[in-house]
Amino acid sequence: MSLKYGVLGLLKEEPLHGYEVKNRFEAMLGGTWELNIGQVYTTLQRLERDGLVRPVGPRGDRGKLLYELSPDGQKALNQWLAEPDTGPQQLHEDIYVKLLLATRIANGDLQPMLARQKRTYLQRLRDLNRLEERARRDGRIDLARLVRGALLHTEADLKWMDELSSERFGTEGAARP
Amino acid sequence: MSELVRLTEVTKVYQGGITGALNGVSVTVDKGEFTAIMGPSGSGKSTMLNLVAGLDRPTSGTITVGGTDLSTLGEAGLATFRRDHIGFVFQFFYLLPNLTALENVLIPAQLKGNPPTGRARELLDQLDIKEVADRYPARLSGGQQQRVAIARALINRPTLLLADEPTGALDTHTGDQVMELLGGLHRDGQTILLVTHDPKLATRHAARVISVKDGKIADDARLESPERAPSEVIRVRSEEAPR
Repeated sequence: MSLKYGVLGLLKEEPLHGYEVKNRFEAMLGGTWELNIGQVYTTLQRLERDGLVRPVGPRGDRGKLLYELSPDGQKALNQWLAEPDTGPQQLHEDIYVKLLLATRIANGDLQPMLARQKRTYLQRLRDLNRLEERARRDGRIDLARLVRGALLHTEADLKWMDELSSERFGTEGAARP
Repeated sequence: MSELVRLTEVTKVYQGGITGALNGVSVTVDKGEFTAIMGPSGSGKSTMLNLVAGLDRPTSGTITVGGTDLSTLGEAGLATFRRDHIGFVFQFFYLLPNLTALENVLIPAQLKGNPPTGRARELLDQLDIKEVADRYPARLSGGQQQRVAIARALINRPTLLLADEPTGALDTHTGDQVMELLGGLHRDGQTILLVTHDPKLATRHAARVISVKDGKIADDARLESPERAPSEVIRVRSEEAPR
């Protein structure tokens, strides 16, 4: 749950109230992950229940409550940061299933589908390139780094299309176990 | 926009099965376009560039540049055509080691007589390397050498700038700077044909990407360049975003 740790990480910098957490989290991710404020409050309440954050002072203006990181929260955050991301690779775009099905159904003729997908990836690369350029120009270094990661991923997807299109899909492509 | 380059059913056959052959390529490029030609090594992408540059002749088919059918030109005619219309930037710069940066830039102009030293210095200034004008290539960094090569390619105000993997021998940062330069030239109206195997690079400045495979054009993609919000391009944890 990276929202939980995202909140802890932001509170390590300084005490914040709910809206500030939401705004800073979204700004860090350059608007690529939008939160609703309810999600943020729920997360803060759970973190408080678990002793990882605590309120600072009384409720302020319009009931705003400032939260800070507790020593346990600090420990949990450090632990999470130090752990490498493990577990299976996440492939949640439709294309993976689509291509496998297409080899069976389209009797192996994947070329038109691959060509269309490849073109989509080229357009995505162009969009990402322009986004990175803008992010760097505006000094939004977090977003620029994120975009760079996305660029390299898309390059890999494109490479996969190239490999598939040089592969010979005959009946073995559609072979059933 | 008006047409600048036209290839019609161009084939190139190499004796002895050397890779890079072309097999019936037809394509046009308009004036002012920045086009990337992409493909694996041996796909024929460099061959295409060399043919357009008049460095080599096709086995069959016709190539016209700026209305001139290159097959009507003899060797001397081709040399003049290259000098007057083509600027070429290579992966390994190809500067002459016993000439200074400035003298290297002037080579194509000297073939014309009356060396425009002023313009050469202006170009070096524009490319941010005027301070190395009197140095020899051995004393220049890779990035500086490629800038000198770009200035040399531009000295005769070519109709067409051809670049074959111009960042291939440079580190990422220097390569980015060189690409930025090419992007700037394009914004000023320069027609550019770039050969690269790197799709990140291809899509950065070129709004058109031609994919070459086994000597044929496998795809010709014209890309859009809208200003998109980050969330339209990337979703982190997309499973939580409503579809």
